[in-house]
Amino acid sequence: MEGESRDVTSFNRKCSAVTGSARKIRDNMADWHNLMLKWDKLNEDGFSVASNVVNLRLSQSSQLSSSSAPPGGAAELQDQCCKLQHIFDKMVGVVTRMENLMTSQRGLRDLEEFQFGPEGRQCPLFHTWDTKEFVGACHFLWESFVQEVKLKQIILQEVAHTISADLCAVYLSCWLHQPFNPAHNRHMLEALLLETGHRPL
Amino acid sequence: MSTPAVSSVHQALQKSFKNLENCQKVWKSALTECSPLLESLGNLAEQSKALSNVQLSDTPLRVFPDLEDRLRFKLLQAMDTVLGKLNDKLSSLQSVRDTISSHASGVLQLYELHADSLDLLAVTERSATTPSIADMLGWLQDAERHYRQQFLRRKAVLQMLRVDNLSLVESAPQRWKSLESASAEDCITDILCKVSFFMESELGK
Repeated sequence: MEGESRDVTSFNRKCSAVTGSARKIRDNMADWHNLMLKWDKLNEDGFSVASNVVNLRLSQSSQLSSSSAPPGGAAELQDQCCKLQHIFDKMVGVVTRMENLMTSQRGLRDLEEFQFGPEGRQCPLFHTWDTKEFVGACHFLWESFVQEVKLKQIILQEVAHTISADLCAVYLSCWLHQPFNPAHNRHMLEALLLETGHRPL
Repeated sequence: MSTPAVSSVHQALQKSFKNLENCQKVWKSALTECSPLLESLGNLAEQSKALSNVQLSDTPLRVFPDLEDRLRFKLLQAMDTVLGKLNDKLSSLQSVRDTISSHASGVLQLYELHADSLDLLAVTERSATTPSIADMLGWLQDAERHYRQQFLRRKAVLQMLRVDNLSLVESAPQRWKSLESASAEDCITDILCKVSFFMESELGK
């Protein structure tokens, strides 16, 4: 009985009234979650704009070969490309904030090394993970998003200059399916949220 | 006038037609949910085909050496998800077919049980509101055959799909659509119209 009640209080202390490093990590993980949601939303918006670009471009090139180009087509294409650029800029912003989170996570690890020596603290801040594991997980997530941003940059640069329908389709499916953002990322995030108590165990 | 044999067959028929009415709704809604799934399956196949047609090393994407494999994996994963959902829909179609089949054969068995006490007059007698037993048994068989064939054809379309034969996957939505036969569905609605008064009548009173 006594052991049980002690468990409950320690759980409470860990999850609701946390302070210091634990509080910081917990907030960082909530930020990760929000940033990834924001990324997904931007990805969706970007995809619909990118498909507009492709459709405009392909219909333009087919009209060019048959008759004169429509006067409004180029302006509209330019407009959609600007929109895509805008969304891309926001995505870069998201990844920059992810990098900041990772740096903050590294700082927490360094602080622990300073406080407790190279071994880190004896008992974990939450359930089982130590601070190094948080850094590793954040780094893993961040790296995949960096790759995604690189891929999206190429798509952004090329998508309006491609007349091959197949290549356009590949650009679009790269944008939509995010090949560098594996399903494992989602599990990693869930693990982080579970560990920090955002999700009930 | 109404012998116990006639009324028991009538009751069973009424129950079966009520079930048929319900099944028609379930069937229709399952089919409506299938079409967007097939569209996205065809779309994914198109994307895979485009990926195969493009030599990525000749494009600006050459800086990502493992991009093709990664994208292909993602596409296959997405196709897998869609196929899983289609499989769920197929099993609800199957359950519709199964209930209709069991009702149709049950009524027929009941009729055979009472066949001795049902003479030709009793089987063919009809009124303004109640069609004859022979007609109704026939209609129920027609409906059963329609759903049985439809289910088999749709199942065949899905079972023929192979990830290594993308053009087959690509053309699946058209083949699925070509199975839609408005006249056959109208037949079911027709049958239900013909027995609508019979379904509303209060038997056994």
